[in-house]
Amino acid sequence: MTMRVVNHPVLGKLPEQNRITIRFNGQPYEAYEGDTIASALMAQGVKTLRKHEMSGEGRGIYCNIGHCFECRVQVGDRKVVRACLTPVSEGIEIHSLTAFVKGGQTK
Amino acid sequence: MSDEKTIVCRCEEISFQTISDTVREYSCSSREVKLRTRAGMGYCGGRTCRHMIDTIVAGINQEPIADEIQLSYRPPARPLTFGVLGGMQHDNESR
Repeated sequence: MTMRVVNHPVLGKLPEQNRITIRFNGQPYEAYEGDTIASALMAQGVKTLRKHEMSGEGRGIYCNIGHCFECRVQVGDRKVVRACLTPVSEGIEIHSLTAFVKGGQTK
Repeated sequence: MSDEKTIVCRCEEISFQTISDTVREYSCSSREVKLRTRAGMGYCGGRTCRHMIDTIVAGINQEPIADEIQLSYRPPARPLTFGVLGGMQHDNESR
């Protein structure tokens, strides 16, 4: 089941695009080339990209134009990027930024 | 905005209640309510809630929003890694 709009009343049928596999928190997900991380994950029903650092509330995209940084995720082992702006590539490793638990360890 | 639990500052999760109580109690400016409640100090640099805070403060204090900038724009304009600060060449976010 995908959340992707495959049949748009105005744009018509979604053209076939080659699919790639991305990994989010260790889980493999299927995505189309040219998707952003946020749209690829949302198409697979994953809306929670991050937990709020203090309250641990789930957070996902908000402005979706790279303005508010709510969608920040970690790509690879060190880089933190905005999921709504960063295109996916084959085998990209994405991790959500975990919430800090009082006392300093990350959940 | 009537519901007291409405979140005004998303990054720091500061509610409308907290901000308006603080403004009423100390009859403070946007800058002071930012210092007292952290509203506007979040990761987005105040982009989302800066204007809302000004409007709330102006509403409660019954004075028009001042012309000069209430909540100043603080560097860095957008977060960057120490690597970039140190001159490393990260490939940019959207290739």
